[in-house]
Amino acid sequence: MATVESPASPQLRSGVEPLRAGQGSSFIWRKLHSLLGIVPIGAFLLEHLLSNYEALKGPLAYGNQVKFLNSLPMVRVLEWVFIFLPLLYHGLYGFYIWLRGKSNVVYYPWAGNWMYTIQRYTGLIALAYIIQHVWRQRFTGVMLPENPYYAFHKVQVELSNPWMLAIYVIAMIAICWHFAYGVWLFAAKWGITPGVNARRRFGYVCIALGIGLACLGLAGIFAFVGPWYPSAPIPTP
Amino acid sequence: MAERTVIFEIKRQANPDAPAVWERFEIPWRHGMNVISALMDIAGNPVTADGRQTTPITYDSNCLEEICGSCAMLINGKARMACSALIDNLEQPIRIEPLTKFPLVRDLQVDRSVLFENLKRVKAWVPIDGTYDLGPGPRVYPQQQETNYPLSNCISCTCCMEVCPQFNVETGFVGAATIAQVKLFNNHPTGKVFKEERLRALAGDGGVQECGYAQNCVEACPKQLPLTTAISDIGRDVVVQKVQDWLRS
Amino acid sequence: MAARKIIVVGGGLAGLAAVIKIAEAGGAVDLFSIVPVKRSHSVCAQGGINAAKNLKGEGDTTWQHFDDTIYGGDFLANQTPVKAMCEAAPGIIDLLDRMGVPFNRTPEGQLDFRRFGGTLYNRTAFAGATTGQQLLYALDEQVRRHESEGKVKKYEGWEFLSAIIDGKGVVRGIVAMNLRTMDLQAFMADAVILATGGVGAIFGKSTNSVVCTGSAQSAVFQQGVYYANGEFIQVHPTSIPGEDKLRLMSESARGEGGRVWVPRNPGDKRPGRSIPESDRFYFLEEWYPKYGNLVPRDVATRAIHKVVYQLGLGIDGQPMVYLDLSHIDCHTLHRKLGGILEIYQKFVGVDPCVEPMKIFPGMHYTMGGLWVDFNQMTNIPGLFAAGECEYQYHGANRLGANSLVSCIFGGFVAGPNALQYASSAPAPEGDGGAAAELARQAEINKKLIENQGGENPFKLWRELGESMTEHVTVTRYNKSIKESDEKIVELLERYKRVNLSDKSQWANTSFAFARQLKNMLELSRTITLGAILRDESRGAHYKPDFPDRNDERFLKTTKASFTGSVEGPRIEFEEVDTQFIKPRARRYDVAS
Repeated sequence: MATVESPASPQLRSGVEPLRAGQGSSFIWRKLHSLLGIVPIGAFLLEHLLSNYEALKGPLAYGNQVKFLNSLPMVRVLEWVFIFLPLLYHGLYGFYIWLRGKSNVVYYPWAGNWMYTIQRYTGLIALAYIIQHVWRQRFTGVMLPENPYYAFHKVQVELSNPWMLAIYVIAMIAICWHFAYGVWLFAAKWGITPGVNARRRFGYVCIALGIGLACLGLAGIFAFVGPWYPSAPIPTP
Repeated sequence: MAERTVIFEIKRQANPDAPAVWERFEIPWRHGMNVISALMDIAGNPVTADGRQTTPITYDSNCLEEICGSCAMLINGKARMACSALIDNLEQPIRIEPLTKFPLVRDLQVDRSVLFENLKRVKAWVPIDGTYDLGPGPRVYPQQQETNYPLSNCISCTCCMEVCPQFNVETGFVGAATIAQVKLFNNHPTGKVFKEERLRALAGDGGVQECGYAQNCVEACPKQLPLTTAISDIGRDVVVQKVQDWLRS
Repeated sequence: MAARKIIVVGGGLAGLAAVIKIAEAGGAVDLFSIVPVKRSHSVCAQGGINAAKNLKGEGDTTWQHFDDTIYGGDFLANQTPVKAMCEAAPGIIDLLDRMGVPFNRTPEGQLDFRRFGGTLYNRTAFAGATTGQQLLYALDEQVRRHESEGKVKKYEGWEFLSAIIDGKGVVRGIVAMNLRTMDLQAFMADAVILATGGVGAIFGKSTNSVVCTGSAQSAVFQQGVYYANGEFIQVHPTSIPGEDKLRLMSESARGEGGRVWVPRNPGDKRPGRSIPESDRFYFLEEWYPKYGNLVPRDVATRAIHKVVYQLGLGIDGQPMVYLDLSHIDCHTLHRKLGGILEIYQKFVGVDPCVEPMKIFPGMHYTMGGLWVDFNQMTNIPGLFAAGECEYQYHGANRLGANSLVSCIFGGFVAGPNALQYASSAPAPEGDGGAAAELARQAEINKKLIENQGGENPFKLWRELGESMTEHVTVTRYNKSIKESDEKIVELLERYKRVNLSDKSQWANTSFAFARQLKNMLELSRTITLGAILRDESRGAHYKPDFPDRNDERFLKTTKASFTGSVEGPRIEFEEVDTQFIKPRARRYDVAS
């Protein structure tokens, strides 16, 4: 077909590609990420904060709790399947999500957009914190599964460093925030709360959940640095 | 008395390979002016504020009453329709830039055809048997009409995609507009026939799972579509569909 | 045998309707549009679409619809196609309904209907106050479906420049310009359908979209197609004056009970809502007791002009009157008129549920257009036209909500007829004239780019629009129409010195506009000359010096043909088909 062309027209840059309808597996990986955040990770978070709360009752009670948890049947398997692997996956895939999102809260400073951005940064804080926390408290130093009554002492020594205490407090708030908003997001994205009012009401529930968890967690931390058990000796059951 | 004027700063780029430059314009103020009328004024007198001759600005526009969806651009940093951007409601200097998430053509003109391609990939239509006379369509109750009509008001302006932090080249996210259209056609008594296909399509890479629920889409939408509700509903339907597919495979 | 190839130019309702029919019948379609088809001007239609479905128990019939349309158009329309359209309308509504158009519903789930101007029946189906948008989307979706099945190829961002006509005077294709690369290309086809809308831009500011320049019609007019009834321009009574355009306030506002009034006392400074009933002059209701606010548009527009310019009763001395919805329940308004309330709220900043709207007439619709026969074919074999760009369905004045039905019906007629024509069209000789036409267009482009002079095309356009709006809209005097005609001649002369500040060959919108402007100027003379010659008053064409309709001399279609000379188009008159309804006096102030 006849044409009259101008010399060498510029080419457009390629933009966002269209939907790969029905292709790929990102759906399952993303949904797994979302689901794992609630169960088992959320459930474990709850358990962990409740256990920590035992520390308020003293080194012995805390040691008993650690001992109890470590006496569960197949506890090492449970630990890997329901805690470490899900955490690792949720953390690494979450990191990947963070990498690919392009926060624009500077231009669109709207509430939901702030929450989107905060969710990503609380996730990053949580990931960094949990790596060091698991490494230092679970895999190095005194082995708590074998020596459950050393638990209070080990944590107390850790928190005696004010920097580390600050890290724990910040991480505790970040994690509770991340979890509470994660629950809200889960309900919204899985279509449990499609209605605007339902989302708003559930938002209040999640705020209460977040604040409650954060109080619980901070109380647990306070047990180690508060006036009740200064430089507590290793208890004997 | 000095004549009242309006100052514009417009980001310009002669073509995709050319460097971007900002040009400043000073235009006489008139009552009821919008951004489009200012761009028209510049076309009639393409001279910058410092008196330099330049070219008329290339931009998309058509209806000028916020129904055709053509004139989306960044105005003072925010994606919106230029026709309904009244000068008196804007802070000066008024900064105008092209949308950033779409391939730039020239000045304020970008290529938004990805949305139309996405609509094809989710089969956003009612598959009628033919245009010959088959009598009236299915009965639809007013309540259903009142649910569907707002979704059918989408003007394809792509503001929801522009403001979405997840809509970018890394994710290849489909964006809220297409998801809302899936809800619309899945709701229709005849359109339903493709419901499963559409839901499976939206479980593909770039599908509904990429939504980060920042909810910018619903804030930016000039037609107030219930986009976040549509994403929730479709998010649920896609999960249900995938689970069913898995259990029935 | 390969499928017959049809080119459709224009992606509004008429174009898309034609595309669907052709694709369905197995033809191959190339669809050309300046804008993505979903952004075509049909999207702006608000109030609804007429069809005598008689779902309100009023005894409405297609014959009554036909009669209202012919009477509303002051008997200028050929009756055979109008009758066919009115008979097809209920089926078209059913089809749109099946395509998923979210029409408003009755509690029983039936289509709801409302009243529009120029009729006493509830005959207008509607989807809120964005019916055109909803209809366009429904057709757009069907075309997208055919496109994904490979039956339709879209060329969005391409502008039609001219038809390719072979040595025997038969259309063989088109030359189009890629608006991004500015490349010219010849596209061959067995038939071509133009569905390129109205000519609002000739009047500068109108309710039309930016692309409604009439450039395509003018191009083929200059290639030998007759342009019919150009002088019939509809000025809509209710629009919001704006800096960039006039924004339509749908007739449906009155269909849902909106009332037009002005303060009885010209100096009344009170805000509209605080003026008591006794101080309001509901002039349409007083002057036209039977139809009230729902008189046809030409009648309402003249009444508003009379109130403002002769009686001096415009609000605050300004050319404005009130369109009042504030007495109607707000929830009902939003359900039935949401779209236009939003427009008023956004662009004027006032809530029309609370405060009466301030409106004024504005140029709205082109009744005239390319001359076509009853098969929608122009006088050039192989070239068809449908929709607002042709002249066939509305006579001297279009009734509200008839445009959408005429667009779809026109497309539905043009599509199959084009395919039928294509199946028996003789094969072209050689290249069918493609190379020559392409070279001609390339030459025009080259000259325009290289042109030297001091004229800015946008300024010329503004002058054209101001002159046309002042002299050739509501009230026409031969002396002032001549002034406009002379102005056009002057502008055509000045156009020769048009100088583009942008000479680039990439997405050069002012270049494309300058080409459209030339076509607007050429076409606008069919409006002025047609108006000068028609010494009568009929429908939208009103001359105070000739206040009566003159059937003896002017019950005729104006047919303009291009001459290229400074005298302008040659005008001849053609008999009107009045075989079904005998012309009678058109009086809305008394029962007919």
